[in-house]
This record gives sequence, C-alpha cells and structure tokens, in this order.
Amino acid sequence: MLRLESIRTAVNNVQFNRFRFWLQLFFFVLLVYGGYLGIELGKSLPTFACGYNKEGRGGMCYLMTLQHQMEWPWQKLFSVAGLTVLSTFGIFYLWFIALNKGWCGFVCPVGTIQDWITSLRRMTGIRYSRYSWGQFQWLAQIKYVLLALMFLIPLAIGGGWFQKDLKSPFCMICPGRTIIPLFSADFSQLSIDFSSKTNMIMTGLGLAVTGLFFIGSFVKKRFFCFYCPMGAFHYLLSKIALLRLKKDGSKCTRCGDCFRVCDQEIKVIADDVTQKEIMTDDCIMCLKCVAACPEPGALKATFAGIPIFASTEEGFIKRMNKGCSDGK
Amino acid sequence: MVNETSKVIPIQAVPFARSRQAGEAQTVLDHIVDDFQDNPESMQYFYDLFRRVYCQGEDVPHEGMLVGTTCIQAPEELIYAFGATPMRLCNGSYHYDQKGADFMPSKSCSLVKATLGMLNSELVIPKIGRPDMIVNPTTCDQKKKSSSMMSDMGYKVYDLEFPNVKESEASRVYWQRSVRQFAVQLRELTGNKLTRKNLKEALNKTGRAQAAFRKLHNFRRKSPSLILGKDAFLVTNAYFFDDIGRWTAAVEKLNEELEQRDKSGFKAVQSRAPRVLFTGSPPIFPNIKLPLLIEESGGVVVTDETCSANRMLYDMTAVDEWMVSDMVDSLADKYLKPCTCPIFTKNDDRRRRLLDLVESFNVDGVVYQAFAGCQVYEMEYRSIAEEFNKAGIPMLYVETDYSPDDKGQLSTRIEAFLESMKNRRKRRA
Repeated sequence: MLRLESIRTAVNNVQFNRFRFWLQLFFFVLLVYGGYLGIELGKSLPTFACGYNKEGRGGMCYLMTLQHQMEWPWQKLFSVAGLTVLSTFGIFYLWFIALNKGWCGFVCPVGTIQDWITSLRRMTGIRYSRYSWGQFQWLAQIKYVLLALMFLIPLAIGGGWFQKDLKSPFCMICPGRTIIPLFSADFSQLSIDFSSKTNMIMTGLGLAVTGLFFIGSFVKKRFFCFYCPMGAFHYLLSKIALLRLKKDGSKCTRCGDCFRVCDQEIKVIADDVTQKEIMTDDCIMCLKCVAACPEPGALKATFAGIPIFASTEEGFIKRMNKGCSDGK
Repeated sequence: MVNETSKVIPIQAVPFARSRQAGEAQTVLDHIVDDFQDNPESMQYFYDLFRRVYCQGEDVPHEGMLVGTTCIQAPEELIYAFGATPMRLCNGSYHYDQKGADFMPSKSCSLVKATLGMLNSELVIPKIGRPDMIVNPTTCDQKKKSSSMMSDMGYKVYDLEFPNVKESEASRVYWQRSVRQFAVQLRELTGNKLTRKNLKEALNKTGRAQAAFRKLHNFRRKSPSLILGKDAFLVTNAYFFDDIGRWTAAVEKLNEELEQRDKSGFKAVQSRAPRVLFTGSPPIFPNIKLPLLIEESGGVVVTDETCSANRMLYDMTAVDEWMVSDMVDSLADKYLKPCTCPIFTKNDDRRRRLLDLVESFNVDGVVYQAFAGCQVYEMEYRSIAEEFNKAGIPMLYVETDYSPDDKGQLSTRIEAFLESMKNRRKRRA
C-alpha cells in the first residue's frame, strides 16, 4: 500500500511536459516509421497515422478506411458486405475506448508535429496568438461541418451523384496526407494533380491547407486540432471511453491556471465547477491542465475509474519551478 | 517669560518609542507574546521584527524604488522584476484611523482611514520611507476615492484599473491590458526594462514565498493545532513590509519547527478547543483584536479567508511559455480569477472557498468580521450566512472597527459563541 502511494506521488510529481515529449516521440516513430520495423496496427487507428505514407506507416488512420467504405456503391454498402463497415468501426471503437482523446494529445503524429512547430516558435521568442471568445465559438463549429461532409460526400459518390474524382475528400485536404509522407522521403503528395478539374481543385486545396497548417500552427498552439473532424468524431463516441478527465469543482478556486496552459483555449476547464466529466469536444486530452493545477485532486485523469494522474500542490510547485531559490 | 518656562521644563520632541502609535503597537505585541504559552521559538523573528519596526520605529530597508500598494491586486512580481520593492500600505493602527478620519465620512472603513492617516503623517509606521509611487487598484469605492486624496498629499498615484465583474471574458482582457499598462508605467518610473530573466526571477521569489506559506497553511489543518492563529496573522502581516527573501526563510524555519511539533505530538491548544475560520475584513497589526479575543477565550483560528493572509498568498501562477508576454498575462489572470474579494458582482467563489476551508480544516464555526463602513463585506453577510446555515455551520457576524472600546462587549459575544460550539460538539459526540 505504501509502495502504491509512493508510486502515485512520483507520478503526480512528474516533469510532465518532458514526459509527454518523449511519449509523443515514441508514438511518432511507431506510427510514421513502424512499417520499416514490420509493425502493422491495422487500418482502424483513431488517429492520423496517414495511409499515404505507404512504406513507413505502422498502421492506418480510420478516416481513410471509413471514407473508402462509404464510397462503396449503395447495393454493396447496404448488403451483407456492409458488415465489414461495422467490423472495422468496431475495431476503431475498441482502439478509441482505450485512450479516448488521449490519441490526440499523445499519439497523433499531426498533433506532435504541431507541438514541435510550437517549440520552434518558442525558441524564436515569438508569442502565440489566441482567438477572441466570439471567434472561438463560431470556429468551433467547423469540425462538425467537416465531419458531416466527410460522411456525405463519399455516400453521394456511392449513390452516383458525385464523380469518383472526389473520393476521400477529407484526406485530400488533410495536412497529414501532404506532410507525413515527407518523413519517409516521399514528396509525391506535394503536387497538384492536373488530370481533371476536380483533382486539380482538391489537390490545390490540399496544398493551401498545408501552407495554412504551417503558418497557423506557428502562431497558434495546436492550430489544426481545433478543426479536426476526427476530434469531433471522438467526442461523439466518448461516453464510455476508459481514459477520462475529471474535475472536482468543490476543490477548484477558479484560478484559471488550467486555462492558461490549455493549447485549445477551453474555458470550461477553469470556469465550470459543477460538471464532473470535464472533457469537451475541443479537448485533446494532453493533460497539461492536470499538471498545471495547484489544487490537490481538483483535476485528475482516470483509467477505468482508477486515478492515474492527479493534480497536487507538491507536483505543481515542482513543475512551475517554485520552491527553488531565486533565479535557479 | 517664555524663555523662563522653557528653562524649567524643556520641551523636546517625544522619542518614537514613547509616541501613541508605538504604545498601541507595544501593547498588542506584548499581549501576543506574553499572554500565551508555548509560542513557537521561530516566531521570535517575527516578534522582533514587529518590535523593531512598529515599537522602536526602525527603518524598513528596501532595494531600488519603493512602490506602495493599497490592495493585493497590484501584481508585486512586476514591481520586483523592475528592481523596485513593493510595500503594502494597508494599515491597522487605531491612531492613524483617527488621524485619517478627516479624509473620509465618519462611517467609513477603518482600514482606508488608517492608511490615509498614515500617509498623511510625519512618522510613518512601518517606517517605510516615502513611496516613489503608489499603485491603487480600483477595487472598492473607498479605495477608489482615496486615490485623489493621496495625490493631494503629494504622492504619485497610479490607478490600476480593475474590473468589478470577474467571470466575463471582456473583464479578463480588460484586466490583462491594464496590467500591461502598469508594466509600462513601472518602466517609466524605474527606467529599467522588463526581461524574461528578471520577471522569471521575480516569479520565483514570490513562488518560493507562496510555497512556504502553503506549507504553513497545511500544517494548520492538523487537529489539535500546532500553531495559533494570532501568530499566523503576524507572519502574513510581516509579508506586507519585510524583505521577501528573509520572510520566506523565516517561514521555512517556522515550518521546520512545526514539523518537529507535529512529530512530537505537541498541542498548541486543548484538543477540545473550537476551531474557527476567520473571514471578512482583514486583521492587520496592531488591529488583531478579534483573532486575539477568540484565542484568549479558548478557541483557535485555524484558517482564514482574508486579504491580509490567505487570499494574499494562496493562489499560485501557472505559466505555459516562459516568455514576458505569457508571464504577464498569467500574472494578470492570477490576480483576477481566483480572487474572492467582495467587490465583485458575484460571490460564488467566496462561498465555495469558505465551504472548502470549513471542510478541509475541520472547522467548528466561522467568525465574520466586517469593519463598520466596509459596505461590501456588510452586504455579502447575508448570502454567506445563508450558505453556512444550509451547511449547518454556526457563524458569528461581528461589526467592529479599530477602536478598542467594544472589546468587553465583543469578548462576551465570542465567549458565548465558543461555548455554544463546544456544546454542539458534545451533543454530536
């Protein structure tokens, strides 16, 4: 029992940002270079392990698989073959349940790349920008629009309304498609396909989004995650996920420390003192808020009901460089 | 003729130690030190500090320019970062309360009157010297209005604009801008620059002090208590004017002693002493009248929710990116968001904070001090009383001021209150 307590203290005192950096790097290598090591985690991963990274990928993003399946002709989609759609979804769901949105905060290679770009900006000493509260509220809707389009366009292709050229519409504009293959020296996605008007538009749009991605994530922490349809999809399914972010409002002083460090500018995390389940649709479950909370037990991450990382005063003081002598 | 009399009784200036304000401080300090047994040894530092500064009128040394603050909302980290020293001007002396009565209507807050009285007098205690600037956060009406009075006395006053709603995003943005402007003002005053390095150092300074305070705060959760509330108030009062590094070291030493006390099973009070949460208008030396009355009568103040102690030091700043801009904004947030000052429109946070303290400190009852004329605390009384009523926690509401006249009457009320808590506990047992 005493041993468990000491492990718990050690975990709560962890230098969280450093720990997260290494974990992210590990998952990045796994998903972007895993293929070279013979790792294959299937085609239903709930994170942007991009399928266009043909050689290096250690698994594949479910959104790609999903869009392919939605494009099936309707006779096939609504026949026995449709069960495949359900089974792949089932596997995706199982993967997802384990980590909830922790897939975004710890595993997603596109998220990790954004964090690296943020570190780069930090080194230059340029400050990050934030949305105003009004902007935040309406921009937050975009991810749902993208999610809906991602279902509807492929379905319409299967129904014969749209041309095949419009296939995998989200992948075409996803910065993962253009950027992740670069890591295994595949530059082919950085081009415009002139074979048809639709292809030209979609690949052009993809390049534009890529440009926007670099600029955006340089000035704004986790710029793309705010618009990510995968994040919206996660949120809709998150009811029974095992990893959870919890808040005990009675212990909260609403000091806003959690909001200060939140990459996604989620106000609810600081202001809401009634809700126990505090994960919102914009949350990427990076758990930085837990690490930045000075009130013991006010915020915690639990796995299957067991607390695994909780806010403590001691951990906060350690992490925020308090309690040390001046200037050190 | 005139010369004749002066030969017989030469009229000299009274030395400071014999002045009224020194006498007032002396009486209270003697009471704090001598009338209680088992004072922690490390409290000696604080007793001596108050004796030197308040009773003997020794100067309080400071580095760089001196920036007086009239409220906890003035971000002291910024002041330190610019190489200046912050000094909290809120005063607790009855002598100055009377002197300051000229400035304010008769029914106004003793604290504001005493601060004005002190600033307007020749002999300032604590003897801090003349502030190069006074920052006056625009919090309650009385503090707001004292701004122009302080200017009229010849001080350079900076009004730090503070919002009176804290929930809205607009107020957060407004306050962040206000704090940035304050930084500009400090740059003009000191001629120094705000850099990443000096701001981080300043944050470390207050961070270390806060960490020490929190440790002391946590020791006070122990039941029976390891330290009396009167000593704890003296410690936090010293933070107003003491050198922050020395203060922190002294508190750390006190913490070590409390740890020893805890290990050896020491009891500073009887195990049945009612545990009191103190809230409302802040006790500031020498006006520690109410906490002292509680502890003389056999109670113990285990924690507080006042701006001379807990509210001043408890909440810590979190920074994500250690760059000047982010540190300044983080500081701004820390001074606004968790603040439980009654000047805000809503007081949900104060109520929640009080209930949390009651629970986590195993509190038997609450004493609510409102200075006569401190309207915001008087007005919040109702909602706080309702909250405690619902929770089944007894509360004593005391309207008082700096004058010692009501001591007899108050002591009767407090004794009765403590007695009722003891009975309550017996009945429950």
